[in-house]
Amino acid sequence: MNCQLCQENLDAYREGRLPAGMMTQVESHLKTCDSCKRLSEIQILAGRVISVEKETDVDPFLVTRVMAQIERLDTESFENIPLVARILRPALITLSLSVAVLFGIMLGNLSRPAGNTGKIPLELALINDASLESVDILSLE
Amino acid sequence: MNEHELIKLILQGERDKFRIFVEKYQQMVFRTCMGFVHNKEDADDLTQEVFIQAYQSLPDFKMKSAFSTWLYRIAVNASLNKVRKSAGTSFIQRLESFFGAENSKTSQLTASDTDDPENIIIKKEHSQWLQKALDSLPENQRTAIVLSKYDDLSQKEIAEIMKTTEGAVEALLQRAKMNLREKLSGGRIINHN
Repeated sequence: MNCQLCQENLDAYREGRLPAGMMTQVESHLKTCDSCKRLSEIQILAGRVISVEKETDVDPFLVTRVMAQIERLDTESFENIPLVARILRPALITLSLSVAVLFGIMLGNLSRPAGNTGKIPLELALINDASLESVDILSLE
Repeated sequence: MNEHELIKLILQGERDKFRIFVEKYQQMVFRTCMGFVHNKEDADDLTQEVFIQAYQSLPDFKMKSAFSTWLYRIAVNASLNKVRKSAGTSFIQRLESFFGAENSKTSQLTASDTDDPENIIIKKEHSQWLQKALDSLPENQRTAIVLSKYDDLSQKEIAEIMKTTEGAVEALLQRAKMNLREKLSGGRIINHN
């Protein structure tokens, strides 16, 4: 096996992905070739550096920090709205709602039946039910 | 509830739902950032920045890809920007921080050498040299290597993140490995015990 072939297969050799015959060839080449052996050792060290960095844990308070910053950003963006707009906008919304409600009431009154004026019909006014159910009867009980 | 539905809720004003995404993807984003900056403090800050950027850009998310793919893109871009900005910063400074005494994780790298200070120095030098080689790769090769080695992503996933083809990613990884081999075999001898 030559150096180029050995070096190309070093990753696969370390991870045990080579066929058995190839594994033996790389292994025996590494025993005899100093430069390939040195490269293999460097790659092992590289793997160790990477795994140490990979295993490092993130700051346990990161979630809190991120959420706090998001909240701050949202608050700031609200505070950045000019004062006039901050007061004017809700005032306009309230005014338009009030106008809409008044308009609704007016519209409702317009659509009421013409005969329904709110007055008691004449027939009902003539009936005197006080004599049918006197207050005295109730007080005697 | 799937991620796209969650995003709709966040956009409708349920800001606190974004917490679910941060909890789920914080380690993934952090790992990617570590691959670029090699420093825990910088990676923590960068991870925070990535999530804030993602939250602010959420209305622009077209939901055509997975949320994670979109988040990876933001993480890669933010990391590359950070690296470009800190290009003037001494590499040694960053590695001093990486090998700092307060970094307990890093001490695992040299745990077997605690009795031999000379060996520790040799290994630190070689690790600096190795990271310098990683940092000297062109941006696209470096991105492909980080996503492959730090995030263990497949070539298909990397291709989707980098908006390219699987063949192009394979070529990038090959070239990156070849470049690293050339840079790393530049003449220094590792002395493992």
